[in-house]
Amino acid sequence: MTLFSIVWKNLLRRPLRSLLTIVGIAIGIAAVVALTTIAWGFDRAWSQVYQARGTGLIVARIASRDPLPTSFPQGLVAKVTGIRGVEAAVGVLSDVMSIEDAPAMLVFGWPIGTFVWDHLALARGRFPTGDAEREVLLGAIAAELLGKSVGDPIQIETEEFVVCGVYSSSATAENGAVLLPLERLQALTARDGMVNFINVRLSPAVTEEDLPAIRESIQTALQGFKAFDAGEIAQANIAIQVGKGMSLATSLIALVVGAVGVMNTVLMSVFERVREIGVLLAIGWRRRRIILMILLESLCLSLLGGIAGIASGLAAVQVLNMVPFFRGRITTDVNLAALLAALAVSIGLGALGGVYPAWRGARMTPTDALRHE
Amino acid sequence: MPSALIEARGIERVFDDGAVAALRGVSFTIAAGEFVTVAGPSGSGKSTLLHIIGALDEPTSGEILFAGCDLRTMPDLAAFRARTIGFVFQAFHLLPTLTAVENVQVPMFETDWPRAERRRRAEALLDLVGLSHRMHHHPAKLSGGERQRVAIARSLANDPAVVLADEPTGNLDSGSATIVADLLRSIHRGRGVTVVLVTHDPIVAAIGQRTLKLVDGRIAGDLRDGNGGPGAERPGPLP
Repeated sequence: MTLFSIVWKNLLRRPLRSLLTIVGIAIGIAAVVALTTIAWGFDRAWSQVYQARGTGLIVARIASRDPLPTSFPQGLVAKVTGIRGVEAAVGVLSDVMSIEDAPAMLVFGWPIGTFVWDHLALARGRFPTGDAEREVLLGAIAAELLGKSVGDPIQIETEEFVVCGVYSSSATAENGAVLLPLERLQALTARDGMVNFINVRLSPAVTEEDLPAIRESIQTALQGFKAFDAGEIAQANIAIQVGKGMSLATSLIALVVGAVGVMNTVLMSVFERVREIGVLLAIGWRRRRIILMILLESLCLSLLGGIAGIASGLAAVQVLNMVPFFRGRITTDVNLAALLAALAVSIGLGALGGVYPAWRGARMTPTDALRHE
Repeated sequence: MPSALIEARGIERVFDDGAVAALRGVSFTIAAGEFVTVAGPSGSGKSTLLHIIGALDEPTSGEILFAGCDLRTMPDLAAFRARTIGFVFQAFHLLPTLTAVENVQVPMFETDWPRAERRRRAEALLDLVGLSHRMHHHPAKLSGGERQRVAIARSLANDPAVVLADEPTGNLDSGSATIVADLLRSIHRGRGVTVVLVTHDPIVAAIGQRTLKLVDGRIAGDLRDGNGGPGAERPGPLP
């Protein structure tokens, strides 16, 4: 017989109470896993987009409080093209629109014949042929959500377009997007000659050390603009940051509630066993073995809760990923580091919830404990 | 007379800041291998005395020497309790979640014996108390007498020098009480362990070789081997 088998049997003494405590911890951990996967999934979805496009830097006007930056004349793009280390620069227009019955979607306007198109793999159909054509290219997930295929008409705002092709991209967010020739999107949104992002492709010779200088030159050439790393663009987005902060806060509250639940359960079980603890002390158990026993009980509850929470959190993310609003907006690949962190947090909660009960249990004197009614 | 294993010198124990005096100057010696019963009415301080001998409680004044060593100077009382003392309680105090054979192993956590050895010893001890057919029963499935026999096996787990029994027959019917009393006597005889047994029952008190009578926290008599007392009609355990 090991100490652990005593611990385990103590937990099974009140199986329902133990189970409910585990559920309490599991809810907290599941919230952490689901909310952080989603919040950070937005971030990663965006950095994937720019990596896939072969874009090293993104230039945008940052004064805006809108989720999308304000537009500016596309003539400014030429100021970036001449900078050392810049191989190509393309002005694009990005917007979010409601198309037919589908939820709001990302709509991109790209100039025909520029490098941003290069990374797309056509699944069906063809690319739009000219800047003025009323043709759209749908991401694979967007096509699915809209229920459209090649040749179908599609109503965007006031204009009718034809689906000329369906593409897939290695970036999840792009698969949920709709692509138009730049001029058509400019006309559609009454922003003739305007763009709101510059995608910058850097020369192959550019290294990590050259980046700050290039960003500096861009920001000097275009006052009031900021050049972002591919990974930074989402980090600069206030909406995403607020979402992240809120999901962290929500998770923390859930975790604290779970930890209090563990402490309550373990404390109750210590109070119920005062005489037993007295007997253990009387027959020669050291106080540190009593502490270890109580801490192990607490850790056991929280670890089981942690494992259950990770499993249900991942399941929740998969379910959310089937909801049209989230489809194609987040990358939900399992982040091992985050899962290990969640497990570590649950162990920490167990230790936290067990310390006080363990201290209460170990500071009893055997005679008082034995007399306890 | 053999050398003293336990020596009490002027033990006083006062509770509640002087309001209740449980022991008022108790002195005696117990030799290794003796079977001593401590008899007296309830409230006479018997259990307090037993707790002090077993290092569960400290005297307010006076001292307890164990094999000549003052308990107050002992660096590790938990180890002392684990290795040297075996406790038997009136209410058995087995862990309800563990089987008989597991309960006997509980004190062995404080030893270095490997797991298989602990289990083997526990089985042998249950055999000794006549419960080899009840090894895997939980306490709830055992009778009172059987529970107390498991508790006696547990008290012997680490081969203690002394078994301290606090009213071991107090919760038992007379049939089970006799079995438990006989078991303690045969363990005393067979293993040479020193037994100190507290009881308010004069018949049970008579199973020892010697009876310390405790009244109002003082020793009122020290009777050797059937020299009078209400239990004198029972045969003494040793020649």
